Amino acid sequence: MLPPMEISLDTLKRMSRLAGFDWSDAELEAIRPAVARTLDLLARLEQVPLANVEPTTQYRVL
Amino acid sequence: MPDLVWRSVTELARMIATKEVSPVEVVRAFLERVTALDGKLRAFITVCGDAALDAARAAEADLAAGRAVGPLHGVPYGAKDLYNTRGVRTTGGSKILADFVPADDATVVSRLRAAGAIVLGKLNMHEFAYGPEGLNAHYGDAMNPWDGGAHRVAGGSSSGSGVAVAAALAPAALGSDTGGSIRIPASLCGISGLKPTYGRVSRAGVLPLAWSMDHAGPMARMVADCALMLGAMAGYDPADPTTSVLPVPDYTAALTGEVKGLRVGLLRAHFTDVAAPEVRDAVLAAAKALERAGAVVDEVNLAEVARVAAASFAIVPAEALAYHAEWLRTRRADYQPDVRERLMLGAFVTGLQYVRGQQARQLLRQEVDGALERRDVLLAPATPIPAPRLGEKEATLGDGPSDVRSALLRFTRPFNLSGHPACSVACGFTTGGLPIGMQLVGRPFDEATVLRAADAYQRATDWHTRHPVLA
Repeated sequence: MLPPMEISLDTLKRMSRLAGFDWSDAELEAIRPAVARTLDLLARLEQVPLANVEPTTQYRVL
Repeated sequence: MPDLVWRSVTELARMIATKEVSPVEVVRAFLERVTALDGKLRAFITVCGDAALDAARAAEADLAAGRAVGPLHGVPYGAKDLYNTRGVRTTGGSKILADFVPADDATVVSRLRAAGAIVLGKLNMHEFAYGPEGLNAHYGDAMNPWDGGAHRVAGGSSSGSGVAVAAALAPAALGSDTGGSIRIPASLCGISGLKPTYGRVSRAGVLPLAWSMDHAGPMARMVADCALMLGAMAGYDPADPTTSVLPVPDYTAALTGEVKGLRVGLLRAHFTDVAAPEVRDAVLAAAKALERAGAVVDEVNLAEVARVAAASFAIVPAEALAYHAEWLRTRRADYQPDVRERLMLGAFVTGLQYVRGQQARQLLRQEVDGALERRDVLLAPATPIPAPRLGEKEATLGDGPSDVRSALLRFTRPFNLSGHPACSVACGFTTGGLPIGMQLVGRPFDEATVLRAADAYQRATDWHTRHPVLA
């Protein structure tokens, strides 16, 4: 696994533009700590052996 | 009739059906109480006074004419303001939808109407259901009625539903639950709330937060009332492709009061053991009470719960962003700040992370299914803490400090991911007089057993009969 990446303002700008959002620097700077915390949390899922687990949606066909 | 507002839904339905009381009298009693108390409690966003009285008069005429009536005939209730209501604005607790007036009822509202229930009004909530505190910058924060000083949160996101029922501004309410939004306010306000199995109750016409996690369900003081409402709400709906075709059982008939031999798995690690001491003690006492009533209690551990927060953060912000994307391009300033921030996070979740979340969810679901193979229900606290003060940021749990938001979601969110039915019910009070809630979790589509166990617990205890002191 790659080492953790610094979440810079530039990274956020590029990612949000890629997702189709033109958010201001101030808006992105405001959420930067929360994005960093979230990505840290999500990185933990990469440590779980999930490769052979069928992803679920909620739908139980009953 | 002075105590009319404290009667249960079941009692009110019986009293109306037998003409002991008029539905007009019932609706008027609740409207008067709303007028007297809701300025401070802020449970309602919209009160449907005239329409409710008109419906009550029509209900009275039906009875006078001897027409067949439904099981909730003439009984008023409040709907969280994300259920579409024909001709009545449905704001989602937002400024963005402040003037949205749906042309049709949500399926659940329509079914309750068919059963005879009357919409008293639309209830406050965390904006767009995205917060467990139940805060709202646009319509004011609903206040927990158990704190006379009005300084504690009601829990969310169905905050108005919790407050309205706890303070007897309505005998019952509709809530919705994506990470605990029915069970958290039920726990913090000392009432009952049922998150049914995913697929048991239609979400058609309910504003979404995260499609694969959203559940619609009833809230009331009595578990028996939740059972009565669920019977009217549940069942296949062609407008919601996730609903099940399984037949809807008679939930009220399932409430036998009997739990002899019922196998109860007490969730200790990750749940009871990390709750605040008063909460832990209350839930352990509840396990003993169930044991005294004949249940067989053992202990069980769900290790996959450790990954619930990560899985949830992979799924909920991404699904929520998909619904809110256009407004996040054009109307960002109209969101309250905490909700805007949570929604924006969805832009930074990759497709791979979203699928990893769904894979982790599968492991959790299998583990919960496994725990329920040899048990009928699981027992845990609904929330690890009682109602926090407004603005309180940190809570101390058995395994260390936690931010309040994460703490409130911690015990409920696993069962949104897994989809199992879960019912919160009051199981005690702190020394400071705040309610404590526990939850009973059952097998998929076995709400009947969950409700039977919760109802039997209420028959053996009196926590649900206590009322907050209101000016």
